[in-house]
Amino acid sequence: MKRKASIFLVLLMVMALVVTGCGSAKPAGEAQDPVNEQPKVKVGFVYIGPVTDGGWTEAHENGRKYLVEKLGVETVIRENVPESSECEKVINDMVDQGCNVIFATSFGFMEYVEKAAQNYPDVKFLHCSGFKMADNMGVYFGRMYEPRYLSGVVAGLKTKTNKIGYVAAFEIPEVLRGINAFTMGVRSVNPKATVSVKWTHTWIDAPRAKEAAKALLNEGCDVLAQHQDAPGPQVAAEEKGVWSVGYNMDMTAIAPKAHLTSPVWNWGPYYVAQVQAVMDGTWKAENYWGGMNEGIINLSPLTENAPEGAQEAVDKAKTAILSGENKIWTGPIKDNTGVERVPAGVTLTDEQLTSMDFNWLVEGVIGKVE
Amino acid sequence: MNLISMEGITKTFGRVVANKEIRFQVKHGEIHALLGENGAGKSTLVNMLSGIYTPDSGSIFIRGKAVKLTSPRAALHAGIGMIHQHFKLVEVMTAKENILLGQKSSFFIRDEQLTQKIKEFSHRFQLDVDPNKKVYDMSVGEKQTLEILKVLYRGANILILDEPTAVLTPQETQKLFQIMLKMKEEGCAVIFITHKMNEVLAISDRITVLRKGETVKTVNTGETTTQELAELMVGHPVNLAIKREEATPGKVLLEVKDLIVESEERVKALKGVSFSLAAGEILGVAGVAGSGQKELCEAIAGLYPVKSGEVFFKGENLVGLSPRQIITRGISMSFVPEDRLGMGLVASMDMVDNLILKEYQNQKGLLINRKPAAAKSKNIIQKLEISTPGIHHPIKELSGGNIQKVLLGRELDSNPDLLITAYPVRGLDINVSYKIYELINAEKKKGVAVLFIGEDLDVLLELCDRIMVLCGGEITGILAAKQATKEQLGLLMAGEKNGKREDTELA
Amino acid sequence: MLRMVKRAQMSKTKSTGIRLLAVFLALATAAILIMAMNLNPLEVYGGLFKGAFGSAYRVREVIIKATSLIITSLGIAIAFKMQFWNIGGEGQILMGAFAASCLALNIPDLSRPLLLVLMIIAGMIGGGLWALIPAFFRAQWKTNETIVTLMMNYIALKWVMYLQYGPWKDPLALGFPKIPNFTLNGILPKVLGMHIGWIFAIILVFLVAIFLNHSKKGYEIAVLGESENTALYAGINVKRTIITAIFLSGALCGLTGMIQASALNNTLSIEVSEGIGYTAIITTWLGGLKPVFISLVSVLFAALLQGGSFIQIAFGIPQAAAQLLQGMILFFVLGSEFFIRYKLVVDRPSLGEAKEELEE
Repeated sequence: MKRKASIFLVLLMVMALVVTGCGSAKPAGEAQDPVNEQPKVKVGFVYIGPVTDGGWTEAHENGRKYLVEKLGVETVIRENVPESSECEKVINDMVDQGCNVIFATSFGFMEYVEKAAQNYPDVKFLHCSGFKMADNMGVYFGRMYEPRYLSGVVAGLKTKTNKIGYVAAFEIPEVLRGINAFTMGVRSVNPKATVSVKWTHTWIDAPRAKEAAKALLNEGCDVLAQHQDAPGPQVAAEEKGVWSVGYNMDMTAIAPKAHLTSPVWNWGPYYVAQVQAVMDGTWKAENYWGGMNEGIINLSPLTENAPEGAQEAVDKAKTAILSGENKIWTGPIKDNTGVERVPAGVTLTDEQLTSMDFNWLVEGVIGKVE
Repeated sequence: MNLISMEGITKTFGRVVANKEIRFQVKHGEIHALLGENGAGKSTLVNMLSGIYTPDSGSIFIRGKAVKLTSPRAALHAGIGMIHQHFKLVEVMTAKENILLGQKSSFFIRDEQLTQKIKEFSHRFQLDVDPNKKVYDMSVGEKQTLEILKVLYRGANILILDEPTAVLTPQETQKLFQIMLKMKEEGCAVIFITHKMNEVLAISDRITVLRKGETVKTVNTGETTTQELAELMVGHPVNLAIKREEATPGKVLLEVKDLIVESEERVKALKGVSFSLAAGEILGVAGVAGSGQKELCEAIAGLYPVKSGEVFFKGENLVGLSPRQIITRGISMSFVPEDRLGMGLVASMDMVDNLILKEYQNQKGLLINRKPAAAKSKNIIQKLEISTPGIHHPIKELSGGNIQKVLLGRELDSNPDLLITAYPVRGLDINVSYKIYELINAEKKKGVAVLFIGEDLDVLLELCDRIMVLCGGEITGILAAKQATKEQLGLLMAGEKNGKREDTELA
Repeated sequence: MLRMVKRAQMSKTKSTGIRLLAVFLALATAAILIMAMNLNPLEVYGGLFKGAFGSAYRVREVIIKATSLIITSLGIAIAFKMQFWNIGGEGQILMGAFAASCLALNIPDLSRPLLLVLMIIAGMIGGGLWALIPAFFRAQWKTNETIVTLMMNYIALKWVMYLQYGPWKDPLALGFPKIPNFTLNGILPKVLGMHIGWIFAIILVFLVAIFLNHSKKGYEIAVLGESENTALYAGINVKRTIITAIFLSGALCGLTGMIQASALNNTLSIEVSEGIGYTAIITTWLGGLKPVFISLVSVLFAALLQGGSFIQIAFGIPQAAAQLLQGMILFFVLGSEFFIRYKLVVDRPSLGEAKEELEE
């Protein structure tokens, strides 16, 4: 026992020496390429799901590939990073391995990115979908509610039962905006239709998303829309022989008979612009919220499953949005408890759209913010 | 030609050679006893015959043909059936169902025909079994008879009995012997494992003695004596007499009054037991296994809940005291059966840690000082001639005799006033057994009161001053050892109080 | 036919040889997988090592990971020593984290040292009490603790989930289900760039070693683990020993929970336990229930995790493949433990022959 203990002590001391000896030195990441004048850019992507999720993360991964193709920069990725201190660790690891630009692509990463931004002032952080900023931490997102509104138009024309299902993740403004815009799109062409919401409280748990979808189908919904990372609801709709509106990516391949259209992301150009700015030394932290006019978001082409007349209706609505004629959030808008949320003639500002007061569901939605 | 012939059988377990170049032959229609001390390799040998182990080398011939017995089923096909010490019966089924269990049978079982067949078998071998009786209603003797019937029915004509008499009263043993003789008449061969020499001499035709995994000798029963067999088993001459110390009983130390204990299932294990034990006296307890001996010991030591009654030790009632409190009053228990390692000792710990088992609580502070115990260990090793690689060797790796010496050494070292020993020599070599009798006698001489739970009636008669017989949780008699006979004890063990048979089932 | 046969004692050199062979086999097998991904196995293995020990940062990360693992394993070792199969480390971590969080969230203005000490005590009591429930059931009604502790993990998880999605949800998180962060007062300080937990771990290794090997309670736990009858016979108070041991076991897991919540997550969430309660079962077992070995195994395990994390980023290996690699190494090492205890014997199928011969 005594011998074992002494071996252990020696080991500990060695370890302590390693740690203290190098502890005063700068973190390895900052020490990278100290001689090189123009620092090489190494970009890290922190993903919440797998790159093959067929949705959110895959869309970002496509953006990364586009970035590599255009600029030839070195990139690294890490999949399946939970929204916990593990995220902070992954960012630390990436900095340790020399990354100086890091994209973190989930809302729940926000505080860990914020912490890392404080710890590594020389590293540029870009956080997708959040609201916290710093000198070296930018925020980026898209006005997904625009194509969501358009997809609502398609769904509203398609539904026979006038019941549309919506598989949603969390009760955060981003998701609520999507539901509300979608519902307004639906009711712009079909005032009798309702949208039933089921919360999954997960972005990435595909089986749970599918369960929620099945529950909605059993309630009689014949079109499913979704706000998840992966296409679980599309699969459920396909199996049941009804229709669906995807999200993130064009989901035709996954549900060829069910898929109508999808609001989609196109991150590539934005990533290229940001990294180019870093390389040029012109990068500044900004709060980017791009619309359809800037190409970061769009509606995927309507499939042959889409109803007759949908294309024309979508085109018309799209023109109205792009021209600024339809700002979507212009009153009067009532919530689903009858309270008027936006008075006639008033349009919600970006601040209002992203604030915590945006916690209501528009008239026509069956469900509540839990 | 020999019915069974085993040639050059060797079997090793790790580094332990259990059987080495064994030669063993059994003839048609004979009762062949396999004699040897614990660890001599008897069980290993018959387990190879019954297909449980396969030999590392050597060959087995049955009726002159080489066979490989790879499973109990294969052995049964070869006509070999084994009756284990622990019966392999399903308690909730009837005798008939147990017999049929696991047998290939046609889809529809023709009940009457089967009952008839079983009856024929019973009759032929004089096996008294009621086919429709549930096993849980049977006595130990009946269960054993059923086991025998079961293997015979399944086609065995060579029967192996592993220590069959350990659980039987002398009367039941006689009955078993009758069955064995009948089987011999019918042309079956019986292999009979035991370490009780008087039984061997009473029933067998030939005896093969094993020692340390090797065949020592095969002798004809008529041409040998107890003394010779003992010497063959041990390997050197032994003195088989227990020297009884003259009893000089002092004042009564232990008085048990109307002790009643109940098991968790509310079965009364002791039904009002009363006796007294004086200093300097050995009180033997005889009885068929499971008659309440274990419960009696544990109740005195505070380990078994007492329903009613009193246990006075030096005038103080122990009932209700914790085991700890009882230990501090000088009651020591060397408790054996299979539980030498399961109760008295901690198997995987070394000798030092086992010696402190009962005294560490007397030490001051939160930590344990093991130094005194280490010194004591060395002392006890020397005094009791314990063979062990060292005081820090796990005791479970010691032989049974050495384990018992560790236990007894610890208990005697605490200088008890009352020593309770239950089956202290079970499974031990003759040499060690006699050493232990000596130690117990020495305690008696010192004025210690000894409660001795035994199974070998000869030993009880020689060692004890008085013998108390338990049957079904009751005392059926307390006899002075000098005047008692085995027959008397046997009757009492079977439940006959003062010569009258008591119907225990109704009681 | 293949049969398992229990081995007799095996020599130290031979068993060490088998373990080394197992690691080698694991690496060799995994090499095939790595080559299938068009990577050089030697480089990846180098990366695995470099990723764990290649820089001060990485060593610190290993130690941080090992800290929680060591403390939890020590707790589990105490229970296992008594043959109480505490599979509930996960739940005890969560409840320890919960108890500590109660203080951190409700009295954030207490002075930092005082608040932290109180949180440590609360965490240990939280984990300890949570473990006491199955211990009480076992002592009183002899329930199977394996199942009860396992099931209680889910109860603990759902409880924290309820808090996170319900009453404790941060109103400032825009509806995102998260509990507010602790103030600085509720966060463990750092020593040498690592949270102070590593010092706790070192101290605890020695304390638990002394407790198990040299204290009366530790001795009683070992005796009771071996046989309840022996414990009764020796006059040990069985119920009290079970309660004490399991409270300590749960308390150490609860301490891990406090550390995870305070130092790493800075708040309570359903993710704080990170599966440590389960991983610790493996490290405890591989460490042979001996505190010093447990800490060594935990460090190695943490290195494997950290190295695995490194190669994912450095070589772009998908997470599933990296986990497969870790799993393979673990599988072979655990498998070797089986071969150290058992050997396989091939029986020639000769039963048929014997039967035919006899039936003639």
